[in-house]
Amino acid sequence: MRVPEQRHSILDQREWSLVILIVLVTLVVSWVDSGFLAAGNLKDILVRCAPTAIVCCGVMLVIVTGEIDISVGSLMALLAAIMGKLMSVDHAQLPWGLAAVLTLLAGACVGTVTGALVAWGSVPSIIVTLGLLTSFRGLSTLLMGGENIAGLPPSLTELAKQGPGGVPLGVWVALAVIGVQYVLIRHTALGRRLFAVGSSQYASVMTGLSTRRLKLFAFAYTGFLTALATLVEVPRLPMIEAGIGREFELLVVTCVVVGGVSIAGGRGTLWGVLLAVLLMTMIRPVLTFLELGEAGEKWTKAIQGAFILTAVVSDSLFRRRSRTEAEK
Amino acid sequence: MSEWLRGEGWIYWARQEDGSLKPIRWLHEYSLCLLFLLLLVVADFLVPDFVSHRSQLLLSRPLWEIAILALGMTLIIITGGIDLSVGSAMGMCAITFGWVFFQTQSATLAGLACIVVGGLGGMINGTLVARLRIHPLIVTLATYAVFRGIAEGASQGREYSPFPDTFTQLARKIWLGIPLPGVVFLILVVAVALLLHRTATGRYLYAIGHNERAARFSGVRVDRVKFGLYTFSGLLAGVATVLHVSRFGTARANAGTGFELDVVTAVIVGGTSIFGGRGNVVGTMLGLLLIHETRQFVSLYWRINELNSIVVGTLLIVSILIYRILARRDVS
Repeated sequence: MRVPEQRHSILDQREWSLVILIVLVTLVVSWVDSGFLAAGNLKDILVRCAPTAIVCCGVMLVIVTGEIDISVGSLMALLAAIMGKLMSVDHAQLPWGLAAVLTLLAGACVGTVTGALVAWGSVPSIIVTLGLLTSFRGLSTLLMGGENIAGLPPSLTELAKQGPGGVPLGVWVALAVIGVQYVLIRHTALGRRLFAVGSSQYASVMTGLSTRRLKLFAFAYTGFLTALATLVEVPRLPMIEAGIGREFELLVVTCVVVGGVSIAGGRGTLWGVLLAVLLMTMIRPVLTFLELGEAGEKWTKAIQGAFILTAVVSDSLFRRRSRTEAEK
Repeated sequence: MSEWLRGEGWIYWARQEDGSLKPIRWLHEYSLCLLFLLLLVVADFLVPDFVSHRSQLLLSRPLWEIAILALGMTLIIITGGIDLSVGSAMGMCAITFGWVFFQTQSATLAGLACIVVGGLGGMINGTLVARLRIHPLIVTLATYAVFRGIAEGASQGREYSPFPDTFTQLARKIWLGIPLPGVVFLILVVAVALLLHRTATGRYLYAIGHNERAARFSGVRVDRVKFGLYTFSGLLAGVATVLHVSRFGTARANAGTGFELDVVTAVIVGGTSIFGGRGNVVGTMLGLLLIHETRQFVSLYWRINELNSIVVGTLLIVSILIYRILARRDVS
């Protein structure tokens, strides 16, 4: 198990390769169009990063404990529907603070149920979250009754678009979540235990850790963070529609994995994940700036996929080489 | 270990009067059968004419593509892997089919090209999983995006149609009382079942799923077997695409969207363990039927489409939950 304290440099190999990739892409794009480096555009990229970064923090912990959560995209749609029903002027019209708290609570509750099914029901997490992925999507469409929800309180939408200091609320929330995550991983027993469970479940049980409770925590935290991401992201959209968060779970898992978190658990760093979030979020604006035209736009997904493949394959090749060198 | 794992099916232990344990085999398959019959009886009672041959034929049309993909998926999951890229591969295959057809005007050539492209996609997965030893979940998550992206990019939003009637009637042709796609599926099922239960390779799959290291040390060519499996899964995606295009009469980049979830769900409900080493074709077929009929029943009875996904998702979780609970109680 590699704990953060044992590291000799600030970034490890995987993170350096992500940094290099990000710098290379930035250089190429700004060479084509220097407008890419304009403050407005950089801010825009950061704003796009925010919800992904928030949810990644939770899913990272889940994967670190050796489980997986692929239900966050549908959960976001469900929570958006709940949020809309609670605070929209066309529906319940609750004060938005109260509605926000209720949404967060709903997210945490759903996460807890997921965690309980995994930890106490001993159903494999990929099955539970696959089932929930399907169910939540249906549930949210059902809840919205085939109509879009509009009319969120303007004070919230304003805050989500232009928060304190002219920066959208999402960025501040993301920074706070990252800060908490940093402290959680590096300076608390809870964080260390999560890594311990992932690196050897057997050893953790033998040393008296409650693996079930730890896993429950990881899932509940992910549910909570998904609700948080919904709260800051969805009010930025013109209205709440059924397609919200589609394939978001794939983006999140991809970021976490490209960021170097081992899918087998027990290994991973926060910086790696955040760099991966930045890289994955950059791709779309980068393609816009490269002015590939309408025909090029259609290739976005393929290029995104190619990036993922490159990151994953290069890492595997790197690790292979270092392994054979170690054997010599 | 709460239950002893043997490949053929889930094995449960019943305590005899003298205290010894006696294995109950095929319990999972029996209970799926029971559940399925129960569903049919209830459905026929509530929805008139549900079980009749004719209405079942009409209802079964969307089933076959999923069923064909499920065969490859069963084999892959038995080895402890997963292939999330099958739906996207269908998109890529569909575009190939359309393009080749309108270049050559030959459905046979187009079909072949479509299957070859599927196989190539599968080979990419296979190489990454077997040669580079990257986790299959990660590999196929990446190719999930790549394949769909290629389909979208290459088609530029076009859709290829119309195809001649002789081709579009293919999916509707009835042969010995079964639609042609069903015949294709049955041939494949028999082939896969023979491979799995009557050949050494079949046994290797269980060995790999159980303990890959041990299998490697016993001389099983794990990499070669895995490469073959992912390629096979890609080829099946090609076959499924031909049927899909024939059924809809158009070839579009979004063919097979979301199929991977349905396929994995069917295989898991059918009793194949997601950790590998356990499962069989009979279970998968029962899982497919159960989910398919549940879907049809829900959409015919309540007429709310969203309910469908909720029911199927719940079915997936509950079916595994029940077996976990059962398995735990039997031994203690």
